[in-house]
Amino acid sequence: MREQLMHQIPRKGLTVWRLYGVFNTFVVVILMGVASFLTYYFEWPSFIYYIAFVLLLIVALTSIWLFPKIRWDHWRYEVREHEIEIQSGLFIVKRTLIPMVRVQHVDTSQGPILKKYDLANISISTAATTHVIPMLVTNDADSLRARISILARVAEDDV
Amino acid sequence: MSEQRYKLHPISALVDFVKGLKDLIIPVLILFFANGFNVKMNPGDGSFWTNLIPLGILLLVILIGLINGIIKWWTYVYWFEENELRVEYGLLVKKKRYIPFDRIQSFNYKEGIFHRVFGLVQVMVETAGGTNGKPEVILTAITKDAANQIERVTRKRNVDEREPELQDDAPLSVEEVPKSSRVIHKMNTKELIILATTSSSMGVVIAGVGAVLSQFAEYIPFDWIFEEVSHFIKFGFILVILASVVSLLFTWVVAVIITFINYYDFTVIEENERLTVTRGLLEKKRVTIPLNRIQAIKIVENPLRQIFGFAAVAVESASGGFGGEEKKITIFPLIRKKHLYGPLQDLFPQLEWQQTLTKPPKKAKPFFYRIDFIWLIPAIALCSYFWFPYGMLSVLIFIPVILIGLWQFKTTGFAINGNQLTICYRIFSRVTFVVEKKRIQAMERRQTYFQKRKEIATVQVTVMSGLTGASAKVSNLESKDAVVVTDWFEKSTLNQ
Repeated sequence: MREQLMHQIPRKGLTVWRLYGVFNTFVVVILMGVASFLTYYFEWPSFIYYIAFVLLLIVALTSIWLFPKIRWDHWRYEVREHEIEIQSGLFIVKRTLIPMVRVQHVDTSQGPILKKYDLANISISTAATTHVIPMLVTNDADSLRARISILARVAEDDV
Repeated sequence: MSEQRYKLHPISALVDFVKGLKDLIIPVLILFFANGFNVKMNPGDGSFWTNLIPLGILLLVILIGLINGIIKWWTYVYWFEENELRVEYGLLVKKKRYIPFDRIQSFNYKEGIFHRVFGLVQVMVETAGGTNGKPEVILTAITKDAANQIERVTRKRNVDEREPELQDDAPLSVEEVPKSSRVIHKMNTKELIILATTSSSMGVVIAGVGAVLSQFAEYIPFDWIFEEVSHFIKFGFILVILASVVSLLFTWVVAVIITFINYYDFTVIEENERLTVTRGLLEKKRVTIPLNRIQAIKIVENPLRQIFGFAAVAVESASGGFGGEEKKITIFPLIRKKHLYGPLQDLFPQLEWQQTLTKPPKKAKPFFYRIDFIWLIPAIALCSYFWFPYGMLSVLIFIPVILIGLWQFKTTGFAINGNQLTICYRIFSRVTFVVEKKRIQAMERRQTYFQKRKEIATVQVTVMSGLTGASAKVSNLESKDAVVVTDWFEKSTLNQ
């Protein structure tokens, strides 16, 4: 691969991802709780407890600690005059190039959690695809959206 | 400006009604199956009237459908005003739709059986946007004259309006040179039969029959050998072979019939920078694609056709296809590969067709099949565990998987030629994907951890097609080559 892209997701983004991981783990805790209860109630073999526990541990470790970290490390983006370049991915590192000419519209979106952390997602749509840059500081996201829309307007559209 | 309002042909009420009925068939079948067919027709039975309720509802729905069709026909008007095609219908809720002439991409025609009896045609007006992949306006049934009139009026305005102000928009150089039409491709009966025989659906059918046969083969010996009625075995065997031949023949005939119904009289005409595809035996369909709306061209050779040197060609178009159901439009369902490049060169003179591909490096070979091991190994382990001795045989599945992987490796490649990118890949069928730089919406280069270690990368391009877009990818190229492709794409935007 060539040189790294300029911008990274803000540190807060990592925190939010970890938070999502915590929610994820909660769901698994509930599932495993139910499984353990059933095991207890119907007197199924006890190795089910261990499996449940190990699974829980794995989910917690990966979705709270490992995956967000890898993802955050991989996420990079750069908005240049003529194109937007995004690098993303967990196991597969993808590097996407979108010419400004192709950009149809840009959205920012913000859920309650993102709002609390003053972050926003920005999604860039072409005629065929949609690309998301997540977890940007709200102000940055807004100004980036404005900038992309100006740059995209300059580049004439011929689809 | 003629502001005369036009109505549809009364038959359209019937056509809409029948279409509604078609949609009803499945729910009705479900209803009947749920009831277990035991609708008792005995008035004396206590549950007779309750049994009639679903039937009554059904009748009511049908009646409503009929009335709906009539109302729609009754209220439906279209007319031309201020360079717009205007459509209005609805009794209680009036719907109006105005489409500027220069937004109209193409008119697609469809003639069902009813239409053909009365010399009518269904017109679908396509615009670039399209809501949910459906055509903007559907005129269910109008006379052919009326259809021609619509096309004439909108086309003429289109040219009048556009030419003076939009000189750089080259594609619409229609001007007053009408009817420079030429036939690009026409299919004869022999080709249709080959098409049916080599179609992938045929393969599926054969596989299905094969699966059934293998089931039989398992049962017949085990059960009957012990009974020592050897001539019965023979008889059974012959029976099976006979049955398989008959069923093969049967599926072949069905495939041929289906192909004839769909592709009979398949003709491609190029006229005024537009490509018109006509096809169909019972239901005639006509699709028009402006050449400048074509986003990419796909040459597909399924393994069977590849052996015999045939290929199919489809184009990805920005507007919808046959009434929006298909976003890909086949322009040559079956053509000899050596006859292929002539017409393609003719249609797309800016593109180059035969060129040497840059291949993935040798070290990339394992990447084409290794990924499948992830699901194969657990599957084989499970098979071996549950069906112990024989389950181990599932290890053999590695052989075809690896062979297909190697075949994919052999096929994969790309070529860059000026503004044109050619990508060759295979899943089962070999696909050659040809796209111009200006049609590419986005490009992606991706690497897994393992690919990175071996300096290998995959490149994927996406073009607009229908609603979702279509993409093609070259897997496991040398990293340097992958960068060449993305760089090529990046340069484009700088020079523009």
